[in-house]
Amino acid sequence: MRTREGTREGGLVVDEAVVIARVRAGEPEAYAELVRAHTAVALRAAVACGAGPEAEDVVQQAFFKAYRSLGRFKDGAAFRPWLLRIVVNETRNTVRSAGRRRAVADREADLLGGEPRIPESADPAVAAEERERSRRLLDALDGLSEDHRQVVIHRYLLELDEAETAAALGWPRGTVKSRLSRALKKLGLVLEGGEERG
Amino acid sequence: MADERLPDELRELGRRLRVPDVDGGSMAERVLAQLLAEHVPTPVPELPGPGPWRRRWGRVRAWLREKRRVLVAGLTGVLIVLVLTPPVRAAVADWFGFGGVAVRYDPEGRTAPPGGAVPGCPDPVPLAEAGRRAGFEPAIPGVLGPPDAVAVTGSAERGRAVISLCWRAGERTVRLDEFPARLDIGFAKEVRTQPEWVDLPDGAQGYWFAAPHLLTVPMTDGTGGIWTHEVRTAGPTLLWTRGGGALTFRLEGIPDREEARRTAESAG
Repeated sequence: MRTREGTREGGLVVDEAVVIARVRAGEPEAYAELVRAHTAVALRAAVACGAGPEAEDVVQQAFFKAYRSLGRFKDGAAFRPWLLRIVVNETRNTVRSAGRRRAVADREADLLGGEPRIPESADPAVAAEERERSRRLLDALDGLSEDHRQVVIHRYLLELDEAETAAALGWPRGTVKSRLSRALKKLGLVLEGGEERG
Repeated sequence: MADERLPDELRELGRRLRVPDVDGGSMAERVLAQLLAEHVPTPVPELPGPGPWRRRWGRVRAWLREKRRVLVAGLTGVLIVLVLTPPVRAAVADWFGFGGVAVRYDPEGRTAPPGGAVPGCPDPVPLAEAGRRAGFEPAIPGVLGPPDAVAVTGSAERGRAVISLCWRAGERTVRLDEFPARLDIGFAKEVRTQPEWVDLPDGAQGYWFAAPHLLTVPMTDGTGGIWTHEVRTAGPTLLWTRGGGALTFRLEGIPDREEARRTAESAG
């Protein structure tokens, strides 16, 4: 969450501008504060974009590259969208250079492996329905064009606001808005179609 | 199906992503270690459209940066100790347990040829003499028996003497270095394979480096001064401390982890 003071994540409050100024003044250890504050969201972005077991290395490499490019970082901008852009690129390069598309089953395991929304004690039939719905949502997401998938991942899976999504994707806010609305419509249609067929 | 439900479902999907179990602290430690190991220069803000004066200033700055880089490269062993912030250092100490050893893998293998010969003990002295010269009694692993050669290097006056014990078995040399010092805080590493913990008696733990690597051992002497014992190739190595870190051991030349552990155990 962006606040006036800076970024708050995992109980850490970081004044990004101050930290970046310290790093640029030759204090590399200050960078640790940014890494600690943004590791969770960076890992989520890497996994959401299909990094799979590579996610850890992808994120480390993204932080490393972000540090090296910190000279080009625009004063007053938010660090998180800028970092996520590097994470997404790094994921793309890694997945591509590895020359393997991960099996659909593996990706599903990554995306659906976490705690279910419905607790174990709940009706198993409801839980199964819930899982089925998530799986179909994921399939529908995979079926979107790259732009549409990215905007949905950033805005909802990573829970960025509209301005951060625009910054991360390098699009104008109007484009984020229109693509997001079209992407949601398509997802809705695909899911609806699936239900009719099912 | 109503579209209004979708955003919430997608957020829920995002929260359920199975991400690797790495916290921000250990990621920060890894990133800093990589920055240090690769001597990445300070990122300096780039101003758009540099004029001729600024270009010249840029060159001066680049020259200064280069000078600094060279200086930093020369000081790495010490610098590692200085640059880690306390929380990161705590994470490092927690993870590594020794409080600090610099371990560098050479990715191209230029300076760390795999399976390099273990150096023997030069200028050997009698065992009894070694303890007197070094100012401390060496511990001898029972399973290896009396060493074939014993050497003392470094200055006992400043508490920086090292006793090396060597055993020869055919082509193989087993070498045990004993340092009367505690390992210093801070370390950096470029890992290709993660070193492993090895449990030793009395709750002590050792660290097993299976792959050949360059090993730097930064330490603190009796006067609080920082010194680095050596930087050189080491094959499979077991590193451990005893007496609350007052004595540090490095065993080289035993390629089997369990055998190395038993050897360490038999040193008492």
